[in-house]
Amino acid sequence: MGPRGADETVPASDHSIDACDLGRVVTVAPSSTEASCVDATPRGLDADSRRWVEQLRAGHPRQHQTVARLYDVLRRVAWFELSRRRQQLQSVTGPEFEDLAQQAADDALVNVLDRLDEFRGLSRFTTWAYTFVMFEVSAKVARHAWRRQPPGLEGIEWEALPDPVALQPEELLEQRAQLDALRQAIGKLTDRQREVFVAVALNDVPIDVVALKLGTNRNAVYKNLFDARRALRARMAAAGQPVSNGNGGDIGPAGDAGLDRSGAAWSR
Amino acid sequence: MTDLHKLDELLRATDGDAGCAAGAAILGAYVDLELAGEDPARAYLGTAIHLMSCSACRAEHDGLLEAARRYGDVRPQ
Repeated sequence: MGPRGADETVPASDHSIDACDLGRVVTVAPSSTEASCVDATPRGLDADSRRWVEQLRAGHPRQHQTVARLYDVLRRVAWFELSRRRQQLQSVTGPEFEDLAQQAADDALVNVLDRLDEFRGLSRFTTWAYTFVMFEVSAKVARHAWRRQPPGLEGIEWEALPDPVALQPEELLEQRAQLDALRQAIGKLTDRQREVFVAVALNDVPIDVVALKLGTNRNAVYKNLFDARRALRARMAAAGQPVSNGNGGDIGPAGDAGLDRSGAAWSR
Repeated sequence: MTDLHKLDELLRATDGDAGCAAGAAILGAYVDLELAGEDPARAYLGTAIHLMSCSACRAEHDGLLEAARRYGDVRPQ
C-alpha cells in the first residue's frame, strides 16, 4: 500500500476545533510560516481565494458585502444539499425545509468566519467553505431522524444479509453455515461493537444517528464499527467460514494492521 | 457470488483506512483534486479507502463534489 498524503493524518494540535455539533474534528497542523506572518493569509493561494480571505477579515472596507455574498452562496449550497438528501428528511417540506437550509447556512457561515485564519489553501476557499455546509447538513439531517423516531439499536434485520431465494440447495446450505458462523461471531463482540455493528451494518441506521444515541461522535462510532468488522472476519475465518475479499480471495484472521491509528484519526 | 460480495461489503475493514476525522480535514483538497481531473488517492490514499466504507463521509464527499462543481467559481464582489 502506497504512502498517504502528508496532510491527511496530521497530529492533533492546539488548533483542534469542532466542525459541527457531532464533534467532528478538523485539525490543522500549525506552521512556523503562519505563526510569524502579520498578514495571516497563507501564501500561494489562487487569486479568488485570496480575495475571499482578505475581504472577509474584520476591518476590510468590503467585509459586509463579502459576508453577504458568501452567505448567499452558502444558503444555496445548503438548499441544494438538503434537496439531495431529501429522502432522509421524508416529511420535511416547505417552510421547515427552508428553515433547515437557513440554519445550516447560518452555522456554516459562523464556522467559516471563526476559522478564517485556519484556511491553508489546500483547496479553493469556496470548496473549503462548502465543507462546513456539508457538516452542518449532516448534523441537522441526523437530528431530524433522531427526533422523528429514535432508532432502536437492538434487534437484527437479517434482510440485510444475502437473499437465499436465488441459491441452489448446496449453496443454500453453505450460506446457512456462513450465517450461523456470523451470528455466533456477533455474539462474541464487545457490547459496544455489537450495538454499533447491528445498528449501522445490519439495520442501516445512519452512523450520525447512532452517534447521537450513544452520546459520542461519528469518528468514535466508525472505529467501533471497523473493529467489529475486523473481529467478525477473523472469527469467521477461524470457524472455517472465511469471507472473500472483493477480488474473490479469502481473507484470514486480521493482524494488527488496519486503521491508521496515528494522529487525529483516532486521538479522540 | 452476489451474496458473498454482499457479506464482504458488510464486513469491509481495509488496511490504511484513515477514519472520519482525518478525512474531514482534507475533504476540500480531495474534492478539488477530483475536479481538476487528478486522482486524489495518490495524495490521500487513506481517505480514498475510508470513503469506500463510510456512507456518511461518502455522502458529504458526494455533496461537496457537486457543490464545488456548481458553485466553486463564485467570486467575492
